Amino acid sequence: MRVASAAAVLLGLGPSVPAEAATTPAPGAAEEAEGCLTCHSDETLSLQMDSGETASLVMKPEVLAGSVHKALRCTDCHAGLDEVPHAERPHKNLAQWKTSFSEVCKTCHFDNYTKTLDSVHYGLQARGDAFAPNCVKCHGSHEMTKPAQPRSRISQTCATCHEGIYAKYARSVHGKALIEDGNQDVPVCTDCHRSHDIAGTKDRAWLMKTPALCGRCHADEKLMGKYGLSTAVLSSYLADFHGTTAGFGPGRKDAGDQRLVALCVDCHGIHDIAKVKDPSSSVFRTNLAKTCAKCHANASANFPAAWLSHYEPTFSHAPLVFSVRLFYRFIIPFIVGGLILQILLHLWRVVVNR
Amino acid sequence: MSRKRDQDQVVRFSGPERVQHFMVMLLFTVLALTGFPQKYHDAGWARFLVNTVGGIGEMRFVHRTAGLLFAGLALIHLTTAIAAVLAGRSSLGMVPTRKDFQDTVTTLRYYLRLSDVRAKFDRFDYREKFEYWGIVIGGLIMIVTGFVLLFPIMVTQVLPGEVVPAAKVAHSNEGLMAFLVVITWHIYNVHFAPEVFPFNKTIFTGKIDRERMRHEHALEYARRFPEDAGDRGSGTPTAENKTEDK
Repeated sequence: MRVASAAAVLLGLGPSVPAEAATTPAPGAAEEAEGCLTCHSDETLSLQMDSGETASLVMKPEVLAGSVHKALRCTDCHAGLDEVPHAERPHKNLAQWKTSFSEVCKTCHFDNYTKTLDSVHYGLQARGDAFAPNCVKCHGSHEMTKPAQPRSRISQTCATCHEGIYAKYARSVHGKALIEDGNQDVPVCTDCHRSHDIAGTKDRAWLMKTPALCGRCHADEKLMGKYGLSTAVLSSYLADFHGTTAGFGPGRKDAGDQRLVALCVDCHGIHDIAKVKDPSSSVFRTNLAKTCAKCHANASANFPAAWLSHYEPTFSHAPLVFSVRLFYRFIIPFIVGGLILQILLHLWRVVVNR
Repeated sequence: MSRKRDQDQVVRFSGPERVQHFMVMLLFTVLALTGFPQKYHDAGWARFLVNTVGGIGEMRFVHRTAGLLFAGLALIHLTTAIAAVLAGRSSLGMVPTRKDFQDTVTTLRYYLRLSDVRAKFDRFDYREKFEYWGIVIGGLIMIVTGFVLLFPIMVTQVLPGEVVPAAKVAHSNEGLMAFLVVITWHIYNVHFAPEVFPFNKTIFTGKIDRERMRHEHALEYARRFPEDAGDRGSGTPTAENKTEDK
């Protein structure tokens, strides 16, 4: 699927971990750690911030032992601390101290670090929001393991801050499958929102990619086949008014934050997406009129039928559309073919006459 | 206007008729250029055209404006035509008759060399009538379905929702058919047919060469210029030998 693969590239979901550095033990790592632990196993060792906050400076070897970074030297991350006791370094507050570690992560994870600079989270951080996430807030520090093991952990990580959204997601068709059934096919937060370069929810460039984003799975025949779902949802959307408009994207005069047109999520919901046959779904037959009315204020009960629900028109499902289509399928070749034939006959007779 | 017996040309179309053709030509081109990119939205040329006008919103605005102007033009044409018929001022030259079907058969037989008899035509031959009624009926379909697509909320207050996708299918296909008929049949008949090549200017100048009129509209010619028709024996000059400038 062209759209889907393009979306995968744009979302930057490829792996980017410098795996080798993390598995081959760095020479002298164990010896160095022993030296550090002389002090850093002391439970009372702590750091005092200018703000009055304190941070424990204890490192538990058993925590690091389970980490993907267990092979690194302490000073690989904690650089500039060769001198013992360490030189005094002022720290404004806890948040700023933790954020400063992002600069450390960058030395190896430069691509992901660079991506975060475009993220909505970095924007918050830059504005001085103490709660804005940084590398350590999502990934942890000494205990760091691969973020998607198990996959459900990703969404739980986001839930640390986005608790309400997570609760909604957990009730959705995707969230339920993940959390209750351990389904590995359904999207977690980062599949749609990306991980490092998370866009703001009003970022139109990202929003307008919604059809491609949903289509990555929902237009994948193999994947949808498993669940008996139609893959025509993307093509039928793109062929209709909303999809065509979305496909062309914003025009020159459209304001930057304008939504333009109904995307997948406008009808199906976002974090609360439910099965189409679930009576609580916004696209369940009896809820449709209300869903359409979100944009089309005076829509009558007849209006939802103007959309063929991603189905190809058939004689039993949409007899009028089917008949009109059939009519033109015959009349166009008949009329145009007939006229061209007459042109050819005319030319032939002109030639014969000469 | 009196007949121009001694001149080479005869007036065939009035000023308003020529203006109407020009407007249809202009609006048809604009509607096709702004309509097909919506039908074939995946194509590269469609993207190019949409970007050229600034976006899909802008293109739809142009398409709808041209569509409303086309509807206005159709309204003017049909009301004046109906008024003329009711007032008895119309020659009824566009009304299809049994003879048109006979002419079609005669012409096809001629093309197929089944006979050497050529049909003799009156003011409008069967091809012209076919095109005229094609654009009238096709135009009405486009106007009605275009209205449904422009005002789906209003339309579905009274009609079932399914008329909207049906109108879309009809609008899209009828437009395609009209386009194909124009670029094949119409362009051939007024540009590439050996009799008129390279350009039949009559609809723009309003005038037709006397000699061509005698060939292509023999019956009308005989009626308007009965004194010239004798030598050609074309048709029967009718009793109503009235002078019209149409």
